[in-house]
Amino acid sequence: MKHPWILFLGLVALTANAAPPPPHTLFVCVSQSKPFIIGSQVVLRNGLYQVEDRANPVHIGFNHPRIDAVAVDPRDPRRIYIAGNNGVMRSTDAGRTWKIVTSWDMTEGKDINVDPHAPDHVYVALPDGIAVSRDAGETWHRAQAGIKRAYTQSIIVDRTRAGRVLAGTELGIYLSEDGATTWTKVFASTKTVHDVRQSPHDPRVFLAATQAEGLQRSTDGGKTWQELTGVGRAHTLHNVGFDPADPRRLIVAGWNCGVLVSEDDGATWTPRNDGLPNAQVWRVGVDPDFPGRLYASVNQSPVYASDDFGRTWKVQWFTAATVWDFVFVPRS
Amino acid sequence: MKLVTSILLLAAFAAHAFGADTPSDRFVGYRARVREVLDWRAAQVKPDDPKTAGLPGIAAKLARHEDAAWCSAQVVELMKAPSGDMFWMFPCVSIAYLGRDQLTPEAKAAMRRAWREYMPLRGDTENHWAMYYTSLYLMAELWPNEPGETWFSGKSSAENLAEAKAYLISWMDLATTVGQGEYDCTHYLGEYCIPMLYLATWAKDPEMRQRGRMMLDWILADYAIDTLNGAYVGAHARTDDRQVLEKWNGLSSFFGWLFLDNCPAPAGYGGWGIFFAAAASASDYTLPEVIYRLGTDRAGPYLSREHKRTRHRWRNSDVRNAPVYKQTYVTRDYAVGSDQGGMLQPIQQHSWDVTWAVADPRGVHNTMFSMHPHVSIDEMQMYFTEFPDWMPTLVTLQNKPSYDKEDKLLGGSEFEQVCQDHDTIVALYDIRPGTKYEQVNGFFSKDLVRLEEDASGWIFAQGGNAYLAYRPLAPYEWRPIAAGGKRLVSPHRRNGTILQVAAAHEFASWDAFKAAIRALPLTVALEPKPKVTFKTLRGHTMVCAYGETPQIDGKPVDFAKWPLFESPYLHADVGSRKLRMTHGRLEHVVDFNTLTVTDRVTQP
Repeated sequence: MKHPWILFLGLVALTANAAPPPPHTLFVCVSQSKPFIIGSQVVLRNGLYQVEDRANPVHIGFNHPRIDAVAVDPRDPRRIYIAGNNGVMRSTDAGRTWKIVTSWDMTEGKDINVDPHAPDHVYVALPDGIAVSRDAGETWHRAQAGIKRAYTQSIIVDRTRAGRVLAGTELGIYLSEDGATTWTKVFASTKTVHDVRQSPHDPRVFLAATQAEGLQRSTDGGKTWQELTGVGRAHTLHNVGFDPADPRRLIVAGWNCGVLVSEDDGATWTPRNDGLPNAQVWRVGVDPDFPGRLYASVNQSPVYASDDFGRTWKVQWFTAATVWDFVFVPRS
Repeated sequence: MKLVTSILLLAAFAAHAFGADTPSDRFVGYRARVREVLDWRAAQVKPDDPKTAGLPGIAAKLARHEDAAWCSAQVVELMKAPSGDMFWMFPCVSIAYLGRDQLTPEAKAAMRRAWREYMPLRGDTENHWAMYYTSLYLMAELWPNEPGETWFSGKSSAENLAEAKAYLISWMDLATTVGQGEYDCTHYLGEYCIPMLYLATWAKDPEMRQRGRMMLDWILADYAIDTLNGAYVGAHARTDDRQVLEKWNGLSSFFGWLFLDNCPAPAGYGGWGIFFAAAASASDYTLPEVIYRLGTDRAGPYLSREHKRTRHRWRNSDVRNAPVYKQTYVTRDYAVGSDQGGMLQPIQQHSWDVTWAVADPRGVHNTMFSMHPHVSIDEMQMYFTEFPDWMPTLVTLQNKPSYDKEDKLLGGSEFEQVCQDHDTIVALYDIRPGTKYEQVNGFFSKDLVRLEEDASGWIFAQGGNAYLAYRPLAPYEWRPIAAGGKRLVSPHRRNGTILQVAAAHEFASWDAFKAAIRALPLTVALEPKPKVTFKTLRGHTMVCAYGETPQIDGKPVDFAKWPLFESPYLHADVGSRKLRMTHGRLEHVVDFNTLTVTDRVTQP
């Protein structure tokens, strides 16, 4: 061989190219058309982006300006559900083709979740309640018995037990122990509960971001709730997250408060907005594969990323976007 | 064709009996106006500049059966980058149907492919859904027996057809039992009429074709009863910043021009009017003679009462579709109309006004009203499923620029209550402390021929042949309006407006009118809540207290018995699904229970 170093470099490059992607796939539900008006000209591609390498978002599926949430079947990552303006859409081939699996009476889905212990059971949060499918999205039925004024923004299945579901609604948080057949109100609010999340460290711990009642925490699996008062009630909170690498680190995104971080399990909170163009933050994502990395959806702005848990930020993707959700799905 | 012949014969008999212009003359005129629209739009197209065509140009040319090869080439090009959701879907429908025997296989294939690759949004309002599902229905009929892989929805033709039909029937049920949600809209009227004409013209299923025809009758009758020379008058679920002042200048007036021939056509035929005309060129739909007559006969005053409903309420309400109680008093010279006020629509609500007749409405602001410039995140959340804080800004960016402006003249308010008796309006305001704009805006047109502030507290004005007496209940100041006229600004939370209208010919003189108004018994209290007791020019005593049921002549207004339609011309009970239209000896009954339309001429 005349130039063996070329072979060596090639092997290095191949090895680098073959480096395994992060263990989680990141899905981003994004609208790049700002502000989007139904019926308007759509130039940029909206909808579902897949970011395997955390560098290059790849658009999959339709150019759908309003996809609010995504969930993936834990048995088969090719089976993807999205909730959006047109209802619940399902792909069984990793996003290549899609079917709207709900009808005219279940649309504008806000959140969607698959029961990890019963993956054929899929729950969707709707503006007029909750629906569930028991056959992997083939058929759907209403499941909001007992919930008065059932606008539902957030729905989450307790990962420790099949059929245990929490719903963030217009008037509080409801808990079901029987797969949404019956519900019990476990937290009362005056306005919408925007986000409910379960701790990756302790499954008994849940956090809830609300429009008017600040940040709420449950330490008993969602049965009772207490306010983490350090965040306050002055601002609408849109979502909340846990740092998978540090059980004492919590994060909140909200309107005019931006990104708030707690390093002491919610006792105190610090704004981490330096470098962000404004403090109107729709969504924040905590990357489970890169300790300290956050993604923030800032109003009318690009998506920003931080590798030091919000102390510094840099532009990451898009030129102006609204991200409705960052969803990390285990690759296997 | 048989049906058209029968209708024309019946109408001809009726016209003969009543000595009016004949319906066949009217039909000829209608067809000529349809042609005028298509000729105009087709003439805009420059073959060497495809941008001048677009979907409307292609629809116009296909309707005229011209340049099919050129149209086909444009369709192939335009289908490469679809955009516009249901506003793309329904133009496609007209092109697909008008082009069945004209477009090339390549053009048809391009359109078929677009309906697989482009996913239009279903939208978030009723007019969106009417267009979306009508379009989906008709395209599923056009392309039957196809599998889900060939549709954007992933559903088969049969599944799409069934879903679209189910929605449309559900909406028709709602509209014909408790009323439309987007009722009496100066623009969105067209976005119901066009889909319904499509169904009436192109649906293969006789049931859906009949439903389309019947809904079109229903919607146009609803429009005709509340018009004055083609202008939509009174309360609107939605209008816009321009049409709320220049009452004629909306898509609704396109239908006044087209069917009633009693006003000029709006510029560009209202835009979407092109697609109505394109479908009309292929349709045997004709306006029932009764609707023509009730839309044009202003020989004597009449009162129309209607039951409507709010759009879907998603939050902040126990009721999905709250009732709306609407009334309109129409005379030859003016019309006064209102709903009960309150929070009935998220954007573009117009709760009440008077509209006076003018010889030529173009550029004329022939109206008067007051309103509270309300801005509310709660209101937005009630009707939209969005996150809160950004919504008012978002709305202003979505072609509703005045939503969060102090000087706006468009919009409803949760702090407004309206009571009407014939041509008298009492509007009361009790604005919560801390509300963004604690004031009432009154609109005074540039086109008033008189305007006098009277020592009595009344403001007297004249528009056309209407005498107007406007009584602000709290101190005020004047501010100019950029588009002309001036705004009465009354910066007081407890407030109100009384408006009494009359025709000039009812009084011997202007001074006589003023004297009559000054003599009307009136007591006003603003604390603890606004309350007005007023004896109207028509001799009725109105007692209106904020937060209480209004009383007319000692009797509380019985909203529970408010009819779906009640007037000398339209008759329907809430829940009935049946609308009886009458004029003189003519009767036209649209019955959704039996899906039948019945015409008859009653014996003298």
